[in-house]
Formats: sequence, C-alpha cells, structure tokens
Amino acid sequence: MNSRKQQEQILIDEIIVDRERAGLKRNITQIGNTITFEFKKNLKNFILMLIVFTSVFFLLLLISELQLAQDVVLPSDPVFYIDDYTGQLFGFLIIISASLFGGSIIVEDFKKQTGNLLFPKISKTRLLIGRLTSRYTLNAICIGFYYVLISILTFVKYNEIPINLLASLGWALLYTFTILTFVTFMSSIMRSTAATIIVSILFLLIVFNIVTMILSFAGLTMEPLFLLTYYEGIITGSLSMPNPRYTEIRMQQHGGEFTTFTQWLTPTEPAALIGMLIYISIFLTLTYFLYKRRQSKNE
Amino acid sequence: MNQLKKWKSMKKMNKKNQDVLIQFKNLTKKFGDFYAVKDVNLEIREGEIVGFLGPNGAGKTTTMKMMAYLLKPNEGEVWIRANGELQKLTRNNKDYLLDNIGFLIEIPAFYGKVTPQEILKYFAKLKGYPRNKLDNRIDTVLDMLGMLEWKDKKIGTFSKGMRQKIGIVSAIIHDPDIIVLDEPQTGLDPKARKEVREFILELKQTGKTFFLSSHLLYEISEVADKIAIIDHGELIAFDTLDNLEATTRKSIINFELINTEDKSQKEFLERIKNIIQPLTGIEKDLSWVKHNENTGVFQVFFDGDPLKQLKILKALIDDGFKIIEFSVPKAGLLEDLFIELTTPEVK
Repeated sequence: MNSRKQQEQILIDEIIVDRERAGLKRNITQIGNTITFEFKKNLKNFILMLIVFTSVFFLLLLISELQLAQDVVLPSDPVFYIDDYTGQLFGFLIIISASLFGGSIIVEDFKKQTGNLLFPKISKTRLLIGRLTSRYTLNAICIGFYYVLISILTFVKYNEIPINLLASLGWALLYTFTILTFVTFMSSIMRSTAATIIVSILFLLIVFNIVTMILSFAGLTMEPLFLLTYYEGIITGSLSMPNPRYTEIRMQQHGGEFTTFTQWLTPTEPAALIGMLIYISIFLTLTYFLYKRRQSKNE
Repeated sequence: MNQLKKWKSMKKMNKKNQDVLIQFKNLTKKFGDFYAVKDVNLEIREGEIVGFLGPNGAGKTTTMKMMAYLLKPNEGEVWIRANGELQKLTRNNKDYLLDNIGFLIEIPAFYGKVTPQEILKYFAKLKGYPRNKLDNRIDTVLDMLGMLEWKDKKIGTFSKGMRQKIGIVSAIIHDPDIIVLDEPQTGLDPKARKEVREFILELKQTGKTFFLSSHLLYEISEVADKIAIIDHGELIAFDTLDNLEATTRKSIINFELINTEDKSQKEFLERIKNIIQPLTGIEKDLSWVKHNENTGVFQVFFDGDPLKQLKILKALIDDGFKIIEFSVPKAGLLEDLFIELTTPEVK
C-alpha cells in the first residue's frame, strides 16, 4: 500500500517537474520569438535612426573640417578631438532614438487594441522583456555604429584609437538603456505613442534642464545625482577622467556684484553606475506594476 | 499528502466526465459590488459547438476572459482538459492548459505594417507549433477563409472584414482542439458570414470544439449544438435548441398556401384561425394567427410541441388547403427564446 502511494507521489512529482521544465523552455522561446518579431516590426525605425546618426556624424565632421580649414589647430590628444562627437548633440540623439524605439512599447497594445490578439498567447511580462530587449538591441546597434564611425575617423586623424573610447561607448549604452526604461515607464502611463514620445522628449530635454538651471542659479552646489539627464555627462567625461567635474561661472547681476554659479559636468564613474542602476530599477519596477494594473483595468 | 488527495479527486472526476473539455464551476466575477458574472456552471463537451448568447453587458466577454486567465474569478473555477485530464486552471498551469485553446476575444486589431504571414508565424511560434510545418499550416488556414492571396500584403490595407478573418485564423493557427470566438461574425458582410459559418462547420467535422458568443442569433442557430444564455451575469438557460424550445413550449410555424377559394382574404384567414387555434396548445386569449399580405406567409403561435405541429399540418391538409411551405424557423425561434428569457416583462 505504502509503495503504491509512493509510486503515485513519484508520478505526480514527475509531471510537475516536466511541466516546470516545459514552462521555463516556453518562457525563453516566447521571449526569443518576440525579439525576432519586434526586429522586423521596428526595421523602419532602425534604418531611420541609422541614417540620423550617420547624418549627425557627417555634419559634425563637416563643422570640424571647416574649423580646421580656418587655422584651428587639431588637438594633440585624440580624446579632445573625439569629445566634439560625444557631447550634447549626441546626448540629444540618444534621447530621440530611445523615445522613438520605446514610445510604443506598451501603449500601442492599448491604443490599437492589439492586446486582444496577443493575450493570452503570451504573458505581459514575457512580452515586455522581449520588446525591451529587441528595441534596446536596435538602439544599441545605432550607438555602436556611431562609435565605429568615430573610431575610423580617429584612426585616420591620429593613427590610433584611444582605449577610453570603449569606456565612453559602455557609458553611452548604459545611459541609452536608462533613457529607454524612462520612456517605457512613460509608455505605461500615457494614452498614445505620439504623446509618449513628445512628453518623454519634453521631460528629458526641457524639464530636467530647467531644474538643473534653477538649482544652479539658486546657488546650490550639491551634485544633481537625482537628475536623470545629468548622467549624460559621463559619456564625454569618461574620455578624460579625472575630468574637472564642475565649472564655476561668474556672472554680474544687474550691474552689481559678481556671483559664482556651479555647473556640474559629470558624475564620478561609481556614482554614475549606481545612479543609473537605481533609475533603471525604479523605472522597470514601476512599469511592471503599472502594466499589470493597466491589464486588469482595460481587460 | 494534499497533492495525493487532489490527484485522486481529479482522477475520480475525470472518469465521470470523460468527454467534458471545459467546465465552469460557480464562476463569479465582481467589479466592486457589481456582479459581472455570477455562479456560472457550464460544461462544454468534445466536438460540440456551444453558442453563448446574452444582451450587451450580460457577462459574455468577462466569462471568456476568465477562461483565458485574462481575468481572475473572485469565486469558482475553470477546469480544462489537457492530455486526457480535466485540470483546474491556475497561474502555474495556464500556459500548459491554454495551449490547446485558440482565443479570439473582442474585436481584433493588428499592427498595420506587418503581413498576415508574419503575424501568424509569430503567433504560431508563441504557441509552440512545429517550425517545419508552419508555412504549410499558414497557407492551409488562410485558404480555408479565402485569404491566401493576401498573405504577403500589409494588414494596414485590409478592410474590417478581412481583419476579422485574420483574427479568426490567428485563433486557430496553432491547431487547438478548443476554439473560443467572441463575436466572430461582427463586421462581416453576408458572404463572409456564410464563409465563416462554413469554416466553423468544416472544423467541427475534424473534431474541434467551439465556444462562440454572438449577437447574430441566426449565425448561432445555424451552427450551435447547444445554446447558453447569460443575462445580468447569470446563466439562465443552457441546452440544445430543441430542448430549450420544449422547455419554453412556445414557437412559431410559418406556412404558405395557394388560395383557391373565392372568399375574401379576411374570411380565408378566419377559416384558418378556426381550424388551427384549438390545436396550438395556447390559451385562446394569447393565441394568434397572422397573415403577411406582401409575402403571403401565414404565422401561427403554438406551444412548440412537435405533435401539435403535426396536428396543425394534418388539419390544414384534411381541410383541403394546398400547402406549399410549412416550417418552424430556428432563427426566429432563437430570437423569441432570447427575448423571452432575457426580458423581465416577458419572463
């Protein structure tokens, strides 16, 4: 009798183990399938962003060559030549591309009601992981391609490629992912893709910069680690660490006394790493719960 | 030990309901204090087509969503058969149990820039359909609904009806045994509705089981083996159409005659009334016989008893009427049943 019970228990255990295995395998396959499908779906955006990144690169090259033609001396250290290409315009490009790739990531299924077809074929979690992975990969390829162009140019000009360029690429990729998670979070609360893209860009380009300026003019010298866009500084800053991490601007107010304002340029490497990881965790956690909540509300 | 008990009770139940594929047990869903679905008990057996009817907001889609685990019931359970066993649907086994079901819930919407081929391939892969048979499967199912020539066109260029068809195809692309369709014929023209009807019956021939909701009562009456009627979240009827008819005992006979008599239309109708009304099984005050002068069709309200139907036919023939048409239209019956069961005043 005992052995019969044991046999039945073994049978139950085998079934459970078998299903768990099937479940894990299914999860991974579904994420893989979603990545492949999303690659196809986002191909046009990808080509568009590749063209934009290439155009910006050649525009900066044209400006640099015109300056050199006007007797501006080529910097002796390639790092100071490269930082023209990884400056604010590049940060702006990252924001635009992350918004374009991430804007529709969640909201499109609610706006277009495509979720009616997708669920229950795939769970929200797997769909989100697959989409985030594919869109980040496409975004990262654009960034990587831009850095390849910078490397080629640096090699042509200096016959060498500084190793710090790799560090800068790493920071650019991490910053891109941080921005993408912010846009994904916006996509989980907005009602349309267009609104998500516009509001995300407005926040990242205008609101965060206004906050930085206000803090600076208020005379606060505290490092603004709480501002998402502040981390963009590490992309250029990492090229020549230890960089001056801030500058002091002296301004005369209404013809009176001179006041000194502190403008922070870049966080330290550990602060940038920790700060961006905290931001990523917060955005992904919020997105996950909002997405789940939205699911039960709309469905 | 608990697992062993569950296992044994599951086996016992399986023996009792060998051909039950889906079972709802006291299924209940509340939104705040409002009961969207209340204590629904329903069984869907292998090879059956079950039509799910109800007025707007009756709880049809909510029930289907609980079946798809898109909504969690507040009370009650959904049981689904997989690999020969009837098992309770839970978060842990939902992928495994729902693999054998194809869902089309609410109006399907597609990404406009992809083709049917691309989206169907994605859906089939999500459900683990063998990759080497995928292309063949896509061609077969698209061909069944006359959509094969559109497989490489962008869905954004499709009409509403074509999208609906692709939605239906997407529900069955992974070849499930159970197919759940919510309003599958909405937005289709009469030709496409006929195609979908034939498509459903064709799949039924291959042993598929259907759970269909629709507002188009005629479409349901043409295909369904059983009808479930839900109103205010409660299941108020579930049986075959014939049994429902027998239960409510009310139906309509349509017939056409050739008027060979010289009497006026009014006198002619009076004569028919006098012959038929005592045979209808309906109280004199409630019984009626009507004549539509445009179509020439007579209608008789009777109690739905087939023997009464036969007596009425016999009486008309015995009295020398030349009958060219005599039928009990099922769609009309379903419509009457539906109204009767879902309208409090009629109830």
